[in-house]
Amino acid sequence: MQHSTEDAHPSNGLPILRFDNVSKIYQTDGDPVVALNRVSLDASGGEFIALMGRSGCGKSTLLNLAGAMDVPTDGTVFLDGSVTSQLDDSGLTSLRRSSVGFVFQSFQLFQNLSAVENVEIPLLLSGGGDARSRAAARLARVEMAGLEDRLPHQLSGGQMQRVAIARALVHSPKMVLADEPTGNLDSTTGDIVIQLLRGIASEGVLVMMATHSLESTGLCDRVIRMRDGRIES
Amino acid sequence: MRRIFHRLILRPLKEEPLRTALTVLAVALGVAVVLAIDLAGDAAAGSFRSSMETMTGDADLEVTAVGGVPETVVARIATLPHAIRIRARLEDYATLAATNDTVPLIGIDMVANALENIENAPADEALREGDTLWASEGLKLRAGDTVNVQVQDAVRSVRIGGVFPQQGRVLVADILLAQKLLRREGKVDRILIWTPEDRPLEQWESLIAGVLPDGSTVAPQGARTRENQRMLQAFRWNLRVLSYIALVVGAFLIYNTISVSVVRRRPEIGILRALGAARGAILAGFLLEAAVFGFAGGLLGVLLGRVMAEGAVRLVGATVESLYVSSQPAPVQLTPGSIGIAILIGVTVSLLSALSPAREAASVRPVEAMARGRVDYLARVRFGRGLLAAAILATLAALASQAAPVAGKPLGGYAAAVLLIAAAALAIPALVAAANFLLTPLLRRLGGVEPMLAMRSLAASMRRTSVLVAALTTATAMMVSVGIMVGSFRQTVLIWMDGQLQADLYLRPAGSASADRFPTLAPDLAERLALLPEIRLVDRFRAYPISYNGMPATLAGGETAKVSQDGRPTLLAGDRREVIRRLPTCDCVIVSEPFANKHNVRVGDRITLSFGSFEVLGIYYDYASERGYIIMDRATMLKYLPDPASSNLALWVRPGVDLDSAQRAVERAARGSNVAVFPNQSLRREAIKIFDRTFAITYALEAVAVVVAVMGIAGALLALVIDRRHEFGLLRFLGASTGQVRRVILSEAALLGLFSTGAGTILGVALSWILVFVINKQSFGWTIQFHWPAAALLGGLAVVYVATLLSGLYPAQIAARLNPIEVVHEE
Repeated sequence: MQHSTEDAHPSNGLPILRFDNVSKIYQTDGDPVVALNRVSLDASGGEFIALMGRSGCGKSTLLNLAGAMDVPTDGTVFLDGSVTSQLDDSGLTSLRRSSVGFVFQSFQLFQNLSAVENVEIPLLLSGGGDARSRAAARLARVEMAGLEDRLPHQLSGGQMQRVAIARALVHSPKMVLADEPTGNLDSTTGDIVIQLLRGIASEGVLVMMATHSLESTGLCDRVIRMRDGRIES
Repeated sequence: MRRIFHRLILRPLKEEPLRTALTVLAVALGVAVVLAIDLAGDAAAGSFRSSMETMTGDADLEVTAVGGVPETVVARIATLPHAIRIRARLEDYATLAATNDTVPLIGIDMVANALENIENAPADEALREGDTLWASEGLKLRAGDTVNVQVQDAVRSVRIGGVFPQQGRVLVADILLAQKLLRREGKVDRILIWTPEDRPLEQWESLIAGVLPDGSTVAPQGARTRENQRMLQAFRWNLRVLSYIALVVGAFLIYNTISVSVVRRRPEIGILRALGAARGAILAGFLLEAAVFGFAGGLLGVLLGRVMAEGAVRLVGATVESLYVSSQPAPVQLTPGSIGIAILIGVTVSLLSALSPAREAASVRPVEAMARGRVDYLARVRFGRGLLAAAILATLAALASQAAPVAGKPLGGYAAAVLLIAAAALAIPALVAAANFLLTPLLRRLGGVEPMLAMRSLAASMRRTSVLVAALTTATAMMVSVGIMVGSFRQTVLIWMDGQLQADLYLRPAGSASADRFPTLAPDLAERLALLPEIRLVDRFRAYPISYNGMPATLAGGETAKVSQDGRPTLLAGDRREVIRRLPTCDCVIVSEPFANKHNVRVGDRITLSFGSFEVLGIYYDYASERGYIIMDRATMLKYLPDPASSNLALWVRPGVDLDSAQRAVERAARGSNVAVFPNQSLRREAIKIFDRTFAITYALEAVAVVVAVMGIAGALLALVIDRRHEFGLLRFLGASTGQVRRVILSEAALLGLFSTGAGTILGVALSWILVFVINKQSFGWTIQFHWPAAALLGGLAVVYVATLLSGLYPAQIAARLNPIEVVHEE
């Protein structure tokens, strides 16, 4: 896959994400459940980080806090220079628009939109111009040229995940968060997706991936193991 | 089976109480409207019968005559050598001055009644002394009260001699007093006859006919009631059909609710089928869901219908009074039968609406259960077939609209309307698909991503969208079509009044008007007014309620020569010069269009009245009453009906005389008579006020249908938010603000409103054509010129559109409040 130099992110090598003693406690039926417990970490542009651990260990919660989808109960999350807990809903939305891209296990494509329309959604939501051509270009970069007008149900699982990755990158975020991106794919297609994510990190984007699969972590710069809401190593 | 029903049907319904409640309410409103119109129709149509039939007892025959039966006829029948019993009556109206209520005034022979104790009649011989009336309990007067009553154009103070036990509102006078009050000395209105059973009624009828003078007729008692009921049939029938529209809209919404249930529970259906559930069990489960909606809606509909009937009876009563016959609304009677029928209607409509989606649920194969998107996709690509079917139905509608009426009912017109609604429903998927293709780029450019997403979502859920649009389209089309019909009718009446109402002042006895009440003015009043220096011309007009061919009609006489120069009336058929030349001198008449249509009368035909035969010289446009008019010259009328009193007068003011001063002069001259004097313009205003009141019931029915449809949209948008919650959560992950999520839902509401008002307007215009030129023409016989009530239509459409938008507010709020983390990860 070709990556042009213009995609190289200016934040390459600089810290984009910092967790400082972050805890997240949910109330379930009135009982507190600690999802994250005093987690601290730093992550910079260009890094490809794997989050590993069993189900319920806190990986998804960490990704949600990192992606400004939620704010910590305690501690501080710094994202691209902002403290997320100091932002209101519209501030968090702006931060997501500018700095974060998401990739999901079950692709989460809009079934009624074509591939290219799915990809241009983040641009349209933030009011960006030239959305169609930028989305088409991004699709081409994940080797989906010629399939722009297909609806999701006309694509294979691997193709759908490529569309999802193109969508996560179309607005040039500083960080891509991938939650089990290979969970619904066969191993060959899964490997291709991991290579794609590796390539994205090489362009200076921070890629943080939650996964169960040890094989998926082969191309990662760093593996963070989690257990019971804490970082083990 | 019970567990399947509980898990698959009841539990999901409980989880969405608001949507469930909206669906039940939609059915309830549909049922309520049908019930309310039925109850109101019974109450309004039944009341004239109950009031005029006071103290008639169970007579066998009745003798009547236009202008009254000579009193001598009573003696002639009484002296027949047979054991027959007779009672003479006078029947008219009196207005209670204090409340301005017009109630039947019945004159009976008090002495004879007292002797025979008929029907609890007042038996006080003292009644014959002085001006004493008896009041029914319903009037809430007390014995000994003194009240002012207006009879004809005179107000006088009368004593209430007693109160008799009857709930209706009736005044009773001794026949002598009644004759004096009504200025009908020597006349009675009806002679009731009881015959022995020793020979058939027909023989008695011909025996009595043999002793009657020209002009008097004998018929089985109650003929007038039956005539009135026959006359009201078309009105009640059309009103009933109109009331079904809300039910049709409700049916669309039941269909949608069950369809949503089926699509949403497809995986569960598949699993159940895989576990061995029979197709019949699945079918029964969903039909049972519809039956639950129908039963609950029916029950609630009974309660709502009872409440709505109170309002409806006033509106229906006003229409009956204006167009047909004097009416006092009777109490609304909710019988166990009508309750049962209402619930049955709710359950039946729900079951029929649910049949198709329930059958689809039963046909789900276990392996198909997971592919939710495919169903909608298949629905989307079939729109071409729907378009073809729509074209076929529209062609059939055009053919049906040409059919002749069946037994006086415009069945072809109704069929055409139903076919057009069905054609529209079938064409709607194509409309949405076309809008998706054409509008999406535009929406994206003009409105941004939210309307684009909304449009795509509507197009993707084609079945759901189509049903919702069809429901609101039907309601909107009804509003548009009835709006155009009423607007056209109104404009036609305005133009007609321009030609018809040429005089400067009009005068009639004060009190409320009705299509069958023609109180008279003092006979010398016209002469007194003609002598006024301010007045150039007086046209005397006299009307009588009559029966023609078993239907009520109005016979009237006017002064042709006096008014001919003013261009009245506008003829539909016949030569105007010939009419003006011959009408004053021959036994000739002109008839109104409703009369001609109702009795199939043409120019040159002869019509036979009880006192003579008359040639029809012309047919004229008339919108004053649906009863139908026969007009003859005053001279001809006086030849057969020599009562010179007028029902109303038209006055022309001399050139140069100020209208106000002329009116004051007329009022001064009429002092002593309680008359209402209307300048031309205020009479027109009054006529239009009555017209608007007449059609108030149709506006009320439209409003309910629109409310039902908008409720359906609200319910469907709520369902949509629940079904697509992960999409809204995903949008938040992709950078959408809560406001943008809200705008997606509101855009969907806006687009649904746009499609519905657009399609509704087109369908409405087509339906209005059928209403104006087929249904109205065949039911009522009026020629209506087509007009566009643009302002009213735009106003109505704007209200529907805004209501649709508002219906999206709550669902939009729900969507904006969704927790994106929860909804995205719950899959």
